[in-house]
Amino acid sequence: MNNKKETTKKAAPLLTQLGIFGVILFVSSLISALFPANFPVPTPVIGLVILYLLLTFKIIKPEQVEKVGSFFIGILGFLFVPSGIQLAASLDIMKHSGVKLVIMIIISTVVMLVSVALVATFLIWARNKIFGKKEDLDKE
Amino acid sequence: MQAELLKFLGNPMFGIALSLVVYLIGSFLFKKFNGFFLFQPLFVGMVLGIFVLWLMSKATGVNVTWIYTNLYKPGGDIIFWFLFPTTIAFAVPLFKRNDIVKKYWFEIILSLIIGLTISVIIMYFISKLIGLNKSEIASMLPQAATTAVAMPIAQGIHGVPAITAMACILNAVIIYALGDWIIKLFHLKNPIGIGLGLGTAGHTMGSAKALELGEVQGSMAAIAVVIISVVVDIIVPLFANIVHL
Repeated sequence: MNNKKETTKKAAPLLTQLGIFGVILFVSSLISALFPANFPVPTPVIGLVILYLLLTFKIIKPEQVEKVGSFFIGILGFLFVPSGIQLAASLDIMKHSGVKLVIMIIISTVVMLVSVALVATFLIWARNKIFGKKEDLDKE
Repeated sequence: MQAELLKFLGNPMFGIALSLVVYLIGSFLFKKFNGFFLFQPLFVGMVLGIFVLWLMSKATGVNVTWIYTNLYKPGGDIIFWFLFPTTIAFAVPLFKRNDIVKKYWFEIILSLIIGLTISVIIMYFISKLIGLNKSEIASMLPQAATTAVAMPIAQGIHGVPAITAMACILNAVIIYALGDWIIKLFHLKNPIGIGLGLGTAGHTMGSAKALELGEVQGSMAAIAVVIISVVVDIIVPLFANIVHL
């Protein structure tokens, strides 16, 4: 095995990369339809798991999906604009108790980020304490 | 009036063009004002877009919801569809830090379960304090899950799915605009914790934010997006049952 950097590996043609995404999406939509309505698992989440497994079991190489993937991730802010504009249809809800709801959503966002981050920090600290390993990760 | 509007603007071109133009105006302002957080392209695009639809409704006397559904949504949906492959694309950064996933999988899952439980309890009490009614509280609780999962859960615990969807969207916008600031404010340092937190609070957009901070953060946010939906699916209905929502 040669240890060349990944960037030097040849990326698959764009259409091939798109094809991989297309097939994974299609298969995911079929699997998503199998889940009952009261336990929904959305297509993109299944797709993420499938692609992750394909990469982990070396059926697909990162360079076969990376270029298209980074492109999509790079324009995510733009792709989210329609979701934002969707709120135009909720203007009626906002009139009711909109300010309270927005304040609560802002608080919730902060609460979720901070509590998950702190719990994780504590658990990893505890693990390192128990196993006595120094993680250089924490000092990144 | 509606017939004329449909004739000229009833195809997807209007929605696509409007989305692109408002976002590009946002990008321009963001650069011009040296990255001032209120001029985040997504935020500007969203506000401008809603403003344009609102103006159209005022000018024509047609209800905003009709304008949105019939004129904007056909184009908006085409752009929205690309969020699917984008979510899938986060498998790549996740795979690249498989070493961390293999080493810390237990801590990752436990953090999400405990972190979410604590969040739901805090959110419940603050909602009560602010004076939200029962159905509004129920709509707030599932927002850590992605929209497609959160809406049916909200329905199941007698919340309003539209409010939950609004919460999920705003979560992403808030994390995108203020994520760095919140991390600094609370002195969050552990990259695994930051990644998991961003993925939980900001969904796919949180993952993009996390990826900007580093590979570890990005991969952890991606795994959080997947696992947190399942955790919400189990914990939120249970909690709603306990507090009789």
